[in-house]
Amino acid sequence: MTLIDFASLLVSALLLAGIYSVMSVGMTVIYGVMKIVNLAHAGFMMLGAYFAWELYERFHVDPILAALLAFPVMFVLGGLVHWLLVRRLPHSDEPTLQSLLLMFGLWLLLQNIGYLIWGNTDRSIFTPRTLSVVHLGPIAVSTVRLMVFGVAVACLILLEVVMNYTWFGRSVRALIQNRYAGLIVGVYEDATAGLTFGLGIGFAGLAGGLLASLYSFDPDFGRAFLIRAFVIIVLGGLDSISGVALGALVLALVETFSILFVPAGYQLAISFGLLVVVLIVLPGGIASVLAKVRRVA
Amino acid sequence: MTAAPAIPQTQTAGKRWRIAALVVGLAALIILPLVVDSPNFTRILFLTLLWVTASIAWNLLGGFAGQVSFGFAVFYGVGAYTTALAINAKVNPFLAFVMGAVAAAIISVLLGLPTFRLRGPYFAIATIGISEAVRVIMTNVGFTGGASGYRILEAARFRQFEHYFTALGLAVLALAVSSRIANAKFGLGLKAIRQDEDAAADLGVNPYKYKLAIHAVSAALTGAAGGVFARYAAFVHPNGVFGFQTGVHILLMPVIGGIGTVWGPVVGGFVFGIVEEEIVASFPQIHLLLYGLLLIVIILFEPGGILGGVREVIRRFRGLRRQ
Repeated sequence: MTLIDFASLLVSALLLAGIYSVMSVGMTVIYGVMKIVNLAHAGFMMLGAYFAWELYERFHVDPILAALLAFPVMFVLGGLVHWLLVRRLPHSDEPTLQSLLLMFGLWLLLQNIGYLIWGNTDRSIFTPRTLSVVHLGPIAVSTVRLMVFGVAVACLILLEVVMNYTWFGRSVRALIQNRYAGLIVGVYEDATAGLTFGLGIGFAGLAGGLLASLYSFDPDFGRAFLIRAFVIIVLGGLDSISGVALGALVLALVETFSILFVPAGYQLAISFGLLVVVLIVLPGGIASVLAKVRRVA
Repeated sequence: MTAAPAIPQTQTAGKRWRIAALVVGLAALIILPLVVDSPNFTRILFLTLLWVTASIAWNLLGGFAGQVSFGFAVFYGVGAYTTALAINAKVNPFLAFVMGAVAAAIISVLLGLPTFRLRGPYFAIATIGISEAVRVIMTNVGFTGGASGYRILEAARFRQFEHYFTALGLAVLALAVSSRIANAKFGLGLKAIRQDEDAAADLGVNPYKYKLAIHAVSAALTGAAGGVFARYAAFVHPNGVFGFQTGVHILLMPVIGGIGTVWGPVVGGFVFGIVEEEIVASFPQIHLLLYGLLLIVIILFEPGGILGGVREVIRRFRGLRRQ
């Protein structure tokens, strides 16, 4: 392998990590505040993808812009779902099987509504931009991937700002760190949870819209990405937002460089196998290992 | 003390009813296909009985021990492929089913050793990963034909009733195992694990060993069902028997019927099997939509499933009568 090959693999891993972070961050905030493992994330990603596709096909909206527009729409939908279903779950400090099965039912529902509306043909968004390439020195990078990465990073930075400088962000962080202490100092849990669920689903929609520009999709779209998102949030330590970026980078590197050693057909098996390995070996995520190292040092 | 004997009496009455229902149901299942004599009717009942078997098997782990698994397609698939390979190697079909069951049980132990270190939802998530990983591997391996599937060539003539009564026997075996475990010390240990794993460990139940054991029993029954299906279909392919959908179906049935009971999964399996095989033909998408909706409603309003709902209705009805 030449140095240039290595560099292009590295760049493509980095670009992949951007979209992977956006896709996983929604699950992380929902898990952090509500301790719900959102299996329906895949369903909302699928809706986001079809939203972007419909806007592009019907109104010729730029697919990247359409993905951004998916955010507010899915935010409202997420709030609605929270009000209708999720808030009826009993509160728990541990993820419950009840919530897992509820979200799974919701996923089945969304997926099959998707089949009902759009059928099971594969769709893709093909624009003049799709095949164009930007040359960064000797490395060629797909324009769409670069744009998706830019949007993803911008959105993550925006989220970080919201989390650090707004009342809502502080409430979310308080609930993630210690729910009871948060309640004592006057965090309004119901509203925060509803907004957080909306935020998480909004990010799912955004990620779905962005992924629609990169891959083809059908109503079952999202299952493979859902499992990747699990790997990422487990690697990142489940409820830390900055951990997500780290987890996404690790998974993207593993997936990209594994092509050198294993046939591409087995690539999915690697990410899914990684999920199990990480769950068992690193239940606290990379962050816990770093913390341990720091404590020893 | 005067009121005390009344309770056992109603219990025996309930038990007598249950035995009567069992005998009538079994007789109907034996006689109906012979009387109706329609290959399609027998096919639907045959597939339903396989679903019932898988449903009962899932409930052993998911209902009794409280370990929700999305990965039962792995055992169904391992059973199906093992049986297929064995039959093609001229092994007696019934021995081949046993081999499928044993292979599934061995795989279940291998998968359970690492994953049962995880608890509750983390175990559930890991099973999604495993199921998908196994499916991807099976679509890529060469010796079973990969994604093109694997064909079974059996010299003997195809006799539908032989397949049907194999499935019926297997379902009855699964029910017997399930009801035996529910009433045994082993079953109580599993129940203790479901309610509080740490407390169970304090009482001298080794959660890890118990889970591995029940996982193996569940996997063996599911694997045998997969094997019986493979022989009937004479063709298996990874996206069918190993498909995520298969695992989803196996999980939905007991949850719909009534999780953690002996009869819930049977009810769920029959409802699912008959509805599935009838509706799928006409509305391929709507059925899972209905199940999704049903799952949401059950989780939020009636965690006892259909069986729990019926019991609730009967209790209210009795209350009314007493007034």
